[in-house]
Amino acid sequence: MKDKSDTHLVEYAVLATLAVIISLLFYYFRYNHGVLIFLSGVSSLAYIIWGVLHHALEGRLTKFIAAEYIVFGTLVFFLMYTVLNF
Amino acid sequence: MMSVLKGKKKSNIIKDWRQQPKSIEKFQFVHHFLPHPEEKRRATLLSNRAVIVYCVAMLLIAGIFRILPKIVPGVLGYASDIAVKDLLTYTNVKRKEAGLSELRLNSALTSAAHQKAEDMFKDQYWAHISPDGTEPWDFILGQNYDYIYAGENLAKNFNNSRDVVEAWMKSSSHKENLLSPNYDEIGFAVVNGVMEGYETTLVVQMFGRPRNAAQVASVYEEQTVLQKESSATAAVSEREPEAEGVPEAVSEPVYTPVAPEKPAIDVTTATKTVSAVFGGFVGTLLALDVWYSKTRGIHKFTGHTAAHLGILILVVASIWFVLTPGIVL
Repeated sequence: MKDKSDTHLVEYAVLATLAVIISLLFYYFRYNHGVLIFLSGVSSLAYIIWGVLHHALEGRLTKFIAAEYIVFGTLVFFLMYTVLNF
Repeated sequence: MMSVLKGKKKSNIIKDWRQQPKSIEKFQFVHHFLPHPEEKRRATLLSNRAVIVYCVAMLLIAGIFRILPKIVPGVLGYASDIAVKDLLTYTNVKRKEAGLSELRLNSALTSAAHQKAEDMFKDQYWAHISPDGTEPWDFILGQNYDYIYAGENLAKNFNNSRDVVEAWMKSSSHKENLLSPNYDEIGFAVVNGVMEGYETTLVVQMFGRPRNAAQVASVYEEQTVLQKESSATAAVSEREPEAEGVPEAVSEPVYTPVAPEKPAIDVTTATKTVSAVFGGFVGTLLALDVWYSKTRGIHKFTGHTAAHLGILILVVASIWFVLTPGIVL
């Protein structure tokens, strides 16, 4: 049980680190919309991969859960893209 | 009698509900917003299908924002509050920070910048070289400004002067111009007009070092240009055709004393609002999901709601506090 919670902690730490890195990159490139669209795509993809791997490691990955991360990743991308496209 | 029958029917219905709670729950409106305890899944409005609908809706709205300016030009646009004085101040602050001399505002470079901006609106292009091959130097030389070094920075769709200068500083080639020791003088144009159907503001920044060092603008000349710029906001206007034999290059730029036009709909605010509304709606439902599931002890077979919520909060915060409109060239 302890091992499992430790693994969870590492996985959430990875997600938090990714979020911090992407936020810093967003701030640094805030005037370059081309780079920001690329970063939005990369961050959405990273989130989908994180979600799928996290649930796979937990042993509870289903098609439904994988699809959920894909649609949420896509939503996150479109939220950014709608603003960055103009 | 009637009330007894009604009571009987009611008790039967309640009995049926108790026997088949799952089927009844499906039709409860509240579960559009709250998790389903029996089915162990999220609110209907958070289902994968619903999220796909939100994505499609956002794509459609972005499409409307692209098509609308072609049908009704000038309705959508970028509201701006850019002033030549501020652009000059921020530019010189950056130069001072880099240990360079301040640039003096020159009337010829200012006129050249105005002509360039008006030319871009007239021929609907966004480039250093016009479709007919006119280069920035042609506008500068057209003002009889004989230079050793010259340069040009462009910006459009920005909200304010600080962001324009910051964006140039974030781009290596524009920064090179801004912090070049080869320049003594500068000229700006802040011109409003309609570009590709969007009401916008173009900013042209022209740098130069005159061949004759004695020609560097005086403080008096700089003040005159600044006064002219602040009293008459430049706007694109219908220009009278040039008289035959008079080269366009030496003609005076048109300064129309009108306030900058504000678009009916500011694209930046509109797109940010659309993203915030969708993001906020989904985020609120996710937060409700976390709270309701915790208080009712519902364990769902779904992904991590808290992770979705965290990412969504980060994205909406970035949209409102980090993203700024504007493109530099």
